[in-house]
Amino acid sequence: MNQPTPASALKRFGGRYGNTMFIALALIGIAILVNVTPLKEQTWLRVLFGISALNFTLRATVPLVLGALSGILCERSGIINIGIEGMMLAGAFGGFVAKTSTNHWPLAASLIFSVAVAVAIGGLMGAVHALFSIRFRMDQIISGTVIIIFALGTTSYLYNRDAIAEGKFSSIALPGLARIPVVGPVLFDNPPITYLALIMVVVVHVALFYTRWGLRTRAVGEHPRAADTVGINVNRYRYVNTSLGGMLAGLAGAFLVLEAVGQFQEGMTAGRGFISLAAMIFGNWNPFGALGAATLFGYTQALQNELLLAGVTRVPRQFISMLPYVVTIIAVSGLVGRVRPPAAEGKVYETEGSQ
Amino acid sequence: MATASTTTGFIRPLRALIIPFLALLVALLAGAVVMLLSGDDPLAAYSGLFQGAFGDGKSWARTIRKTVPFVLTGLSVALAFKVGLFNIGASGQFVIGSVFAVAVGINFDGLPAFIHLPLALIAGIAGGLLWGAIPGFLKVYTGAHEVIVTIMLNYVASLLGGWTVYAGGTQGQTPGPLWDRTAGAISETPDVLSSAQLPWLFGPPYRVHYGIFLALAAAILIWWLIFKTPLGFEMRTVGHNMRAARYAGIRVNYTIILAMALAGGLAGLAGAIETLGLNHKFAPEFGGAVGFDGITVALLGQTHPIGVLLAAFMFGALDGGAAAMQFESGVPADIIQIIQALVLAFVAAPLIIRMIFRLRRQTHGDAGSPVSASWSGP
Amino acid sequence: MKRIRPLKILVLLAALALLLAACPAAVPAADTGAADSAASAGAEFKVGLVTDVGRVNDRSFNQSAWEGVVAAADMLGLADDDIKYIETQDAKDYADNIQQFIDADYNVIVSVGFALGDATIVAAQDNPDVFFIGVDQFQGEVLPNLAGLIFNEDHSGYLAGVLAGSLSQTGTIAAVLGTDLVPPVVAFNEGYVAGAQSVNPDINVISTYHPGEISQAFVDPEWGAATAKQALDQGADVIFGAGGITGNGALQEIATADGAGETVFCIGVDTDQWNTVPAAQPCLVSSAMKLITPGVVDLVSLASEGNFPGGNYFGDADLAPFHDFDDMIPQELKDLLEATKAGLIDGSIDTGYGN
Repeated sequence: MNQPTPASALKRFGGRYGNTMFIALALIGIAILVNVTPLKEQTWLRVLFGISALNFTLRATVPLVLGALSGILCERSGIINIGIEGMMLAGAFGGFVAKTSTNHWPLAASLIFSVAVAVAIGGLMGAVHALFSIRFRMDQIISGTVIIIFALGTTSYLYNRDAIAEGKFSSIALPGLARIPVVGPVLFDNPPITYLALIMVVVVHVALFYTRWGLRTRAVGEHPRAADTVGINVNRYRYVNTSLGGMLAGLAGAFLVLEAVGQFQEGMTAGRGFISLAAMIFGNWNPFGALGAATLFGYTQALQNELLLAGVTRVPRQFISMLPYVVTIIAVSGLVGRVRPPAAEGKVYETEGSQ
Repeated sequence: MATASTTTGFIRPLRALIIPFLALLVALLAGAVVMLLSGDDPLAAYSGLFQGAFGDGKSWARTIRKTVPFVLTGLSVALAFKVGLFNIGASGQFVIGSVFAVAVGINFDGLPAFIHLPLALIAGIAGGLLWGAIPGFLKVYTGAHEVIVTIMLNYVASLLGGWTVYAGGTQGQTPGPLWDRTAGAISETPDVLSSAQLPWLFGPPYRVHYGIFLALAAAILIWWLIFKTPLGFEMRTVGHNMRAARYAGIRVNYTIILAMALAGGLAGLAGAIETLGLNHKFAPEFGGAVGFDGITVALLGQTHPIGVLLAAFMFGALDGGAAAMQFESGVPADIIQIIQALVLAFVAAPLIIRMIFRLRRQTHGDAGSPVSASWSGP
Repeated sequence: MKRIRPLKILVLLAALALLLAACPAAVPAADTGAADSAASAGAEFKVGLVTDVGRVNDRSFNQSAWEGVVAAADMLGLADDDIKYIETQDAKDYADNIQQFIDADYNVIVSVGFALGDATIVAAQDNPDVFFIGVDQFQGEVLPNLAGLIFNEDHSGYLAGVLAGSLSQTGTIAAVLGTDLVPPVVAFNEGYVAGAQSVNPDINVISTYHPGEISQAFVDPEWGAATAKQALDQGADVIFGAGGITGNGALQEIATADGAGETVFCIGVDTDQWNTVPAAQPCLVSSAMKLITPGVVDLVSLASEGNFPGGNYFGDADLAPFHDFDDMIPQELKDLLEATKAGLIDGSIDTGYGN
């Protein structure tokens, strides 16, 4: 691998994401046009590009992209993580318990504390997944399944339905930026975890591809033997990455409880962990790819809702509701084609002579 | 990787049962601790659970009735694992199987039962086959990952199933094609004609139908297919190493599509049996939650048909006893899920059990089962 | 190695103790059960409840029905042991769970939700000595021991529509609903639309049902919240949240929106949600109620007196009090609501539902 220079990095980025970026910019342009001109009176344009659709898209995207990032961190180091759903749910529950027991604190302190707890619980689940996979050599798909079922059962069993979380995160408008038409209200007037999620995409991308830690993580995921030979502690990287991944899933849970809804509900992740998994694969284990996939999914969900709100009844509503799923299937079979997971995924790594 | 070659025998040594048994024991103990910590009475809970699962004839009947779909969805997931594919789509295949079976079951009045019933069952299998073949086909010809496609198809199947029985709301929408016109505003199909209903082995109040024999037959058939036929050998070879299989001249693409279709057919049969034997109609609430449990059952049974049978029976008993447990002790059924997760963990990581009981290590098998291979694909 | 031995012995001992304790416990428990039932044949009065898939404390219709059972038990002086519930895990268990109570010689069995209708009818036909109360179950044929507790949801929906249509300044109101696979939800919405149009024929009602499957439709608060936000973005200023936890998510979202309680309002459903969802209080003007709890109390006490009414039994469907918003509602609107209610009862106003 060549040492990246800023210029070559930009070029590589442009090469890899150029088309996506162009489409995204074009869409934003149309959206601005639609919303600032009388065109928004056109039902179809409003349905496709209205601010409500864009807001819904971002909101639906946040937990998905965090889940996908969680998967990317684990899988880039060679640990399969199908347990995102469980980690998310456990994080959501942890955040809820923390929030209900600190209701008497000042709102901001209580919320921040609860996010920390959610992230910690998610990290703990990640660590358990790593422990199962590495120390106990459990099959990683089984371990992920265990985490999902365990989280579902435990959170439902322990959930005190009389507990009430008081308050949730509200939007913070970024001064100046929030006043840009369309882009402002959609992107720059959001609650904190939404900003954090978008920042995390960049952070994970940079960390994975432009730091020594990222290089080593990828080496561990692609060719652990070689990494070991040059003195990298393979399993330590896997423990750390899987725990970090769990923390991101926990943050997605915190988003659901502390920012989006304000309450916990059994099974409230409602399959978002699995959609994240799909977004991760769809995005070819790349942070920006995952963001694109999650956004596509969020957008089709928004569109489906917009169509129903606009009273489109000629087509049975079930077929409109299929939109996100069918679009995803078409996209993965037509657009991305074959994806390639990290080569050493799912395999226990044993150092020479560890038997 | 070792397990597939070491478990070709129909009956594995009894020793293989020691670990699962100890795992269940430790999981029950851990569940008891959880209950004690949260102020519930584990003894009352477990005695209720036991009575509900095996206490009398009706309990046994319920356990068996609940075992049937777990066997079939478990086999569905297990078969795909053998070929190195991860079938998360059993619940969608279950729904489509139910819909196809009910479509035949409510039509063709006057057909004799010995034609109508098999026809309805075959329709269910065919529906599942088709739905399962889609991800296989897309994987082979476009490279779409079967995990994404099966997850998405679950949602599509659930919506499609809902549409077929949709009452139409009052928004001027047309009702679904299978909707029961006499059901008013309720979205459901009419009852399956008696000539297409799976007969009772023991009638009400036991309500055990002949489906259990179909499930057992399917388990034996799949065992035979995987371990005793050339096709099964090809499937296992593809599952072990796709590239090597290709070099060896095995028709990898054909095998993948066929395996996914068969997996779908099994889950479809599960849906058909539940519909024709028990529910006697299809409604959106008879969805395919049992499909996700199929993953757990397959993993717990270490993807071996006999293991799947045993695991399904355990799930059937735990699920069957859950209501009685809550009735006797007030402990909610969520504790069952916790126990299931722990059993799976302990079975999949024999090291933990060995550590607790200081059992000697076997020469092979500790490295876990080979299902992770299914991630990477071709 | 030696250190592990005590643990092993402990675990084995505990396991043994558990087995020994569980087995004998199982037998006497069955015995006393039989003895109890023999003794109770005439004397005791026991009431059981089977939930629809969901929890007995779901802050929704299962909870309302269970509260009815508890209140009836208080009134009749029943012991705590004489009322029990089973939470259904899977739709195909309805018949089994009802049978559990029949086998234990319960006198009254409450089954909650239209989906249990068929199983309840079969059980009632087979057990003429047991009284059955089917909440939300319309009875086509009268069985003397089965009462379907049903409601004119379209009436309370209509009142909510009149209220929403009168309060709206923007001319756009919305409804965020559970699935249309459940008839009462459709009835609420149809009544709501008709009521709003009765005060403002030009009003724009954007309403949408949860797009997912039935098991998800009432327990997805994040979808409810995101959809409520989407409706706000489209200019709706009164939003009706009708769909269990999903609807509660919508209410809580509106409660934290800009202008909540001043320019933006929400309307709850089923019970007076001022009490059940305190977080919604900032925007909650009223709730379209169907009073399950008093209906169950009435029917249980009628059963205990031996005056059980078979067939359909209509519970009250009405608008909840305005609470803190009482001063904001002009007197003429209150008068209009009273008049509308009278008209609905005497049949001079038709909601159009079910025609």
